[in-house]
Formats: sequence, C-alpha cells, structure tokens
Amino acid sequence: MESQKAKKFNKEKTLKEVKEKISQVSSFKKLKEIEKEYLGKKGLIKDLFKEIKSLTEEEKRRVIPPIQSFQKEASLLFEDKEKEIKKEEFNEELLRQSEKIKAKKPKIGHLHPITQTIRLLNKVFIEMGYSIMDGPELENDEYCFRRLNVPPNHPARDMQDTIYVESPKFLLRTQTSSIEARALEKYKPPFKIVCPGRVYRNEKPNKSNHFVFHHYQGVVVMKKVTLKDLFGTIEHLFKAIYGPQVEIRFRNKYYPEVEPGVGPDMICFKCRGKGCVLCKKVGWIEMGGAGIIHPNLIEMAGLDKNKWMGFAFGLGLDRWAMAKYNISDIRTLLGDDLAYKYYENENTL
Amino acid sequence: MKILYSDIKKLVPGLKVSSSKVAQALTLTGFMVDSFEKVRYQGKEDYLMGLEVRQNRPDCLSIAGVAREVAGYYGLPLKMPSNGSLKEGKNKLSIEIEAKDFVKRVVAVKFNQVENKESPKWLKEFLSFYGIHSINLLVDLSNYVMLFTGYPSHLFDGDKLKGNLSWSLNKNFKEIVTLDGSEIKLNKKELVIKDDESVLGLAGIVGGRLGKIEKETKTVVMEMAVYDHVIVMRDSRNLNVITEASNRLTKNLDPRGIDFASKYLISLILENCKGKIDSNIFDYYPKKETAKEIIFDPESPSKFAGIDIPKDKAVKILKDLSFDVKSKGKKTIVTPPVGRTDVSLKEDLIEEVVRIYGYDKIPSSSPPEVKVVENITPENIILSEKARDVLCSLGFDEVLSWPVTKEGENEFVNYLDWEKVVTENSINEDYPELRQSTITGLLSRFYEYSKKNIEYVKIFETGKVFGKAKGEYKEHDALGIFLKASSQKGEMNSFKSSVETFLRLIGLSDISYKKSKNNPEIANPFSCWSIESKDKKIGILYKLRPNKEIKDAYFAEFNIDEMVKILKKTKNKPAIELDQKLVVLDANIELKKEDIIYDFLKEIKDKIGTKYIWSINIIDEFPVKEKIKYTIRVSYKNLSDKDAKEVHLKTFNLKEK
Repeated sequence: MESQKAKKFNKEKTLKEVKEKISQVSSFKKLKEIEKEYLGKKGLIKDLFKEIKSLTEEEKRRVIPPIQSFQKEASLLFEDKEKEIKKEEFNEELLRQSEKIKAKKPKIGHLHPITQTIRLLNKVFIEMGYSIMDGPELENDEYCFRRLNVPPNHPARDMQDTIYVESPKFLLRTQTSSIEARALEKYKPPFKIVCPGRVYRNEKPNKSNHFVFHHYQGVVVMKKVTLKDLFGTIEHLFKAIYGPQVEIRFRNKYYPEVEPGVGPDMICFKCRGKGCVLCKKVGWIEMGGAGIIHPNLIEMAGLDKNKWMGFAFGLGLDRWAMAKYNISDIRTLLGDDLAYKYYENENTL
Repeated sequence: MKILYSDIKKLVPGLKVSSSKVAQALTLTGFMVDSFEKVRYQGKEDYLMGLEVRQNRPDCLSIAGVAREVAGYYGLPLKMPSNGSLKEGKNKLSIEIEAKDFVKRVVAVKFNQVENKESPKWLKEFLSFYGIHSINLLVDLSNYVMLFTGYPSHLFDGDKLKGNLSWSLNKNFKEIVTLDGSEIKLNKKELVIKDDESVLGLAGIVGGRLGKIEKETKTVVMEMAVYDHVIVMRDSRNLNVITEASNRLTKNLDPRGIDFASKYLISLILENCKGKIDSNIFDYYPKKETAKEIIFDPESPSKFAGIDIPKDKAVKILKDLSFDVKSKGKKTIVTPPVGRTDVSLKEDLIEEVVRIYGYDKIPSSSPPEVKVVENITPENIILSEKARDVLCSLGFDEVLSWPVTKEGENEFVNYLDWEKVVTENSINEDYPELRQSTITGLLSRFYEYSKKNIEYVKIFETGKVFGKAKGEYKEHDALGIFLKASSQKGEMNSFKSSVETFLRLIGLSDISYKKSKNNPEIANPFSCWSIESKDKKIGILYKLRPNKEIKDAYFAEFNIDEMVKILKKTKNKPAIELDQKLVVLDANIELKKEDIIYDFLKEIKDKIGTKYIWSINIIDEFPVKEKIKYTIRVSYKNLSDKDAKEVHLKTFNLKEK
C-alpha cells in the first residue's frame, strides 16, 4: 500500500496545493513549517523517496522524474516567498524606526543691513588688496580734527556739531577720517585700508538725520598716487555695486584733509540725470568726498611729505543700506523698529 | 550764494556760453549749482543760480568773486566797476578799537548832507532775489555792495551817535534791540560796536536800532570791517543769530578786499544819495597782510592728476584766475589775488590748475593696478566678522543699537571695573551716558519686539562699550548675546550650549564657568557666571533678574579684545590621524557643592596629558546631600586597552573591580 503514494504522485496537483498554501502565508515561521511539510527531513519528498527504494527499476524511471521536478520547483517557490516575506518584515522595521517631520519653522539668524552693506563694499576692496581698519569712537580732538588739518575754530568745524565728553579734548568721533589719522601714525606705508565705522553728530534724530550713523573711509598711502588712481578706484567700486552702466562724475569739492578735493556724484538712478525729487532736481546724487591727502596730514603723522603721498575717500553707508533694503527712515537702522522674518533670508546668489 | 546770469555777463562781457553751461562749469569746478531758476529781471528773461560755496572760499560769497571764477574758467577778462578817486573830508573821525585781538581791519567814513530816499525799482527787484527787503536807498546800497563784493558794511545815523564809536568786548550791556526790533540778551564778552552810551551793533552780525538809518537821515557813518572770524562764529552761535553779514564774516575774509569794497560803497552813496565826505577815511589795519609768494612747479599738476597737463596751460590757468605768475631764475613764483585766503601751498595751486583744466579730463575707467601691500587688518575686526557669521548660523539676529543710555542704566548693567562716561552736550538729553554694556540696547530691542508680538527673540550686537578707569577713557569691542526663552521652562542650558558652541567655533578652548564676583544688578545673582578661556576672563553669562515684563531671559557678553589676546596664543589642531580605536572608560566621582568641576577636569587633563586624551565629558551629574556626583567619561587615544585602563585607574585613584 505504501508504494502506491509514490506511484500516484501528481506533480501538478501537489504544486498547486503548495502554491495555494504559500499564498496564504505572511510570516516567515509559517512558511518554514509548510516548507518542512513538503521538503523537510520528515516531509513528503523524503517519504516518497523511502517508498521508491522498493520499486522496480522501470517503475523508478517513471516515478522519480516528476518528484525531482516538483522538488526543484517547490524550492524555488519557497525561496521567492521567503524573499517576499523578508522584504515585508524589513519594511515594517523601517516603518517602526521612521520619524515624522514637524511643520514648525526653525529660527534662522540674520546680519544687520549695515553689516551686509559693509561686507558688500569690503569685498570689492579686499579684492584690490585693502585691509580693514577701525579705531576709537571716543576720540580726542587731536585725531578727529587737528591731525586732519582742522585746527581749533576752523570753519570746517562749523559743518559738524560734535558731541563732547570733555570739551574741547574728548569727543565722539564725527568722521572715520580719525582712523586715517591714526593709521598714518601707526602703520608704515605703503598701505591700503578701508575703515567702516560709526560716527556721531549732535543732531536730534529725524527721518533723514541721526546722531549715530556710519561712514566708510578709504585710505591709500604710496610713494606715488594720482587723481587718476583715485577716480579709477571710486568708479570701480560704483560699477561693482551698481553695474557697468552706472555713470559717475567728479567735481571739485572742499575738505580740509585733502588737496585737491573731489566730490564723486552718481547719476540719479531714478531720473537718469533729468532732475527729480530724489536728486533735488540736480540729476546727480552726491556720494561722498575724496581727494589727495593734504601734505600737512602726512607731515603731522611724522612721515616725509616729499616721499609719501596718498588718496582718501569717504562715503556715507546708511543711505546705501536704506536704498538697498527699502528702509525709508534712518532711525530704523539703529532703532527698535528693525526686525527680521525669523524663517527667511536673502537670496545668497 | 545766489547769482543772476546777467550779473555774471555784465562782469564778463566776453562770455558767450549759455547759462546752463556756466552752471555746469561752476558745479564741476567746486561750486555746486543746486538750484537753477528761470526768472525775469528788469523786464528781461534771466536765470538765477543757487551755488553751494566751499567753506574756504568766502571770496565767492559775492557776485564779483563768482564772476572772477567764470572769467578764469573761460579765459576771459573780468571787467570790474571803477571807483575813481575819492576826496576825503577834513574832520578827523574819532574811533577807538579796544578789542585789538579780534579786529583785523576797520574802514570808516562820515558823510553829511545826504539825501536818503526810496530805492529805485531795479535795486528793490535785485535785493528781492536774495530775500532782502528794501528799507531805503542807503541801507539797500550797503546790502547791494555786500552782495556784489562779499564785504558786509554798516551805516549809522551820525546825528544819533553819542560821542565816539568804539569796537570792544561787551562788559555792561545786557541786551540789544536789533534793526528789525528783535531783543537779544547779551552774555558779556561779545564783540560789540558802541558809542559813549549805548551798544550800536553786534560786530559782524547785526546792527542795533539806536543808530538806525531813516529816510530823514542826513549824516551817515559807514563802517566796513573784517574780524577774527572765530569770535564772530562764537557770538553768532551763542546768541543764535545768523545773518547775511555773519555768514560772510564767520569765514576767513581777506582784509585787503576792503580797499575796493569800501570805495565802491562810498562812490555809490555819493553818486546816488548826493552828500559829501565829511571826515577822513579812517583805516585801522595794524597787521597788513603781505601778498604770499608760492614756488610752483608747472609740471606738478600733471604728476598729481596722472594725465598730461602742459606746463604753459598750467600757468595760463593761474593767470586767468587772476594769480600773479613771475619767473625768478628757474623758479616760478605765484601770488594769489586778493580774496584768495584759501591758497597758501603749492598743493593749493595744483588744485586750482587741475579743477579748471577739468576733472572730467581725468579717465576713471580703470582702477589702479593691484599693488601688493601687507594685510594689516587687526584681529578684532576679523574675529567680530567671524562671530557675526557663527551667531547667525546659531539662529541669532544681529541688531545695532544706540551706544548711549538713559541715566541710571549703566549702574544697573555694569560689571566692569570702570566709571561711566557722560556726554557734556548731547542734544538727546534723555540719553546722556555712553553704554557700559550692550545689554541696554538688546533689552530695549526685546521690549519693543514684545510690544509688537515678535516671538523668538535671539539677538546679538557687536559694538563699543565705554568707561573711565584711572583717569583715562577706555573702550573695547564687546559682543552681547541675548535670548528670551520661547517655552515656559528655563533655557539656561540651551543658551549656555549656544554660547559655548560659538566660543568653540571661533577657536577658543579650555572654557570654564566660575561664579561671577562682580554681578551686575540686572543679573540673577544665583545664575551669574564669569566665563574664562585658558584661565583668562573673557566675559559674563547670566540670567536676567525677572520683572513684570521679562522672565527667563539670558545674556552673555564678551570682550572681543580679550578673546583676541587668548586666540593669538591658542594653537588648536583638531584634525588628527586616528589609526587606533579609542578606549572609552567611565569614572564616578563626588565633589563638594562649592567645588568647581572645571578645576577638577583641568586637573584630570593635566594628569593624563593631552597626548592621550580624545575627549573628557561629564555624562551625568546629580546632587547627593552636600555633594554632587558626576560620571566622567574619558576617551583615550594612542593607548592599548590595558594601558588606558592603567592610566584611568591611576588618574581617578580607582581600584580594579
């Protein structure tokens, strides 16, 4: 009776039966149980081969091939199903280990518009080999006035109402030119520096004037410099910031610390020189002051005025920053009205 | 300074260019034309230009001065009115100059039999362009000459004067009523013109009512003077009186110009008001200016400009501007014309040549070649820049605030060993002191943000703080960092973590926190630490004392200059070749509550030696009665398991379990 099982083995039917069982399985353990039932040590195939031993050679030739074929195909079925189950189980683990992201926006930090403007200008000058310099804000009149060729009671002081800490000697610097006076004394030429810094005037803050604001001073001391070098430097700066189409003119202007003195103007970007409210109908916007350093400054710093000369320029930073950031009131720059969106920054490109 | 185009043409008859071209030339050569108006004058079309006159060019606060500029620019002759000869009177004009230090020159003369009247239409119209009301012919002529020559004068009714005229520093007069009726309180020591009884005018500023010229005036005393401009400036400022006269006399006017200006006024009075010169022409001029002689190199303008300006062109420009140019051997000697007090050096002459030759002829299209010079940027600037970037990355916003504070604020926030600095004359009376800490501005920003419902207040500022120590003013670059906790629970450790991350990112190491000895009032004394790096104090960290408006706010402030000093000595090299596994061992220790864990860690570090330390961390701490238990984890490098264990046991005095 026993040998009847092997003789009656129907491969297709048994494979179908295996496939059906496998399809209902979702765990690895259950799959192994089924695999054991058919292909294990005490499984169906082993039983069949035990029977086969008692068969005739002819019977063997007929019965064995379908059993072997079944064994091969069933193994593949179990293998595939095993892979499938493993994949599902692994996904379950990933899901378990996965994390959700929250919608809360992180707070990011921001640089002040004045810092950004200073950096914009610094970049241009660093590429030209300049160093950056600062000096005391609580200055003495020696460096803020006398060393800049502004002797006591000179009319130039008429232009600046100074905040004194101990008059007439100690004051809050009215211009970053005081850094120039100190650099001339401290550093051995040749040197090229730019000096961004805070300056003070005794003014009640209003929409367009403040008692604290920012200057940007440039100083170059070499054996030989010319107005051509100065003009080239200033035009390069403006073109680097405003683009190659910018139009600049230079006119004669008076500052006690330079001789000759220069006033660079930029064509009004609103009316292109026709005259409008922004440029007070002049067509040009005053951008600061410049010139060849007065020989008295070189001499007062203890340098040989026949050996060294230089040029200097000064720009107001606040208006640049205000124009760039659409700030209409200068008080906002140093006041409590300046705020940043906590989640957004400027495009860095 | 305003000027009519027709007035320039009258003095420069050869001028053929348009008014707008003249305006452009004036702008480029140093007199910015900031208004340009089409007007009608004497029934004809004319142009009124508004010029910004350089501070050192008082000669151009006059029609004649500006016309001389235009003539010089176009190389045309200047045609000035001629005064003819004047016949002095026989009577001696008695004038005393007491304030000798302040009076450079006074010219005065007395007229009689004068017929004063209403001014002609042209003169009234002319003065109206300058915003000057016509008073009567005598007064209007005095104003006209001031506008024409730049020299203010004053006329007194001679019949009203009591005794001698004198110039002196005010001793007794308490007030003056001016020509327009305003009362001005005097403070003493003003430079005044007076007679034997009364004050008649503030010298260089305004005349008084007592000597006022009326239509009926028959006797006139005219004076024209130049003073030490500093005293006029001082009086004008102190008394807050600014007039056309003071606008000119607060500048360095050339006393020599009085020669022409006074004679011109005298001629006009005689011509238009009849009358006779009754007195001699009084002329007080003790220190006569001598014409300056400047050695000039005609090649020098080219050297300064960086372009070729022919030598003969340079000389011609100076001559066209009315400078006297002579040759003395091989030298060229230049003498500036009367009025040009701004020219005294060869560099001044170079400027004259270059500005007239034209700044527009100097090319500006290429920057100078990059000449390599030493980078002398100080480290505090480099560090401040780095600090800004790091703090931004840590989510802090940069603010800039007022470096001045309200009274009392410094006492509340200061922790440094210095006195406060108070300004003497700040127009912002509510903020008289210079800040001693950046917290004042940061806190003010926080309050404003709170009012505006802005959340996430994480802000910082780099800027100066000021003080006075041992009689000297001090300032240093400070960095203040402020955080207001966004949750209900305290965030001291999250703030400390940000601060320490910042410190480590800028390259500082061996950072430790000690109970601060100088707690500012604003700080919670139980949450206030002094921060050190390499045993040197670099700053402070504290939780703010709570009040109605603020709770759970934190602040740290650093002295950037001190950080620079430490960084200059610090040589951290964090990148290393690690070819062995680290050996990680823990140790449990107990310290008294008052002991400083950072001191203990330093001791451990010194015992082990930096060669073998990868890291030392406190991984746990909890208080037990009067002590604190710490679990310290040391990661050893360059040691085998056995050797590391041996070092560990020895270092922490442990026995092998």
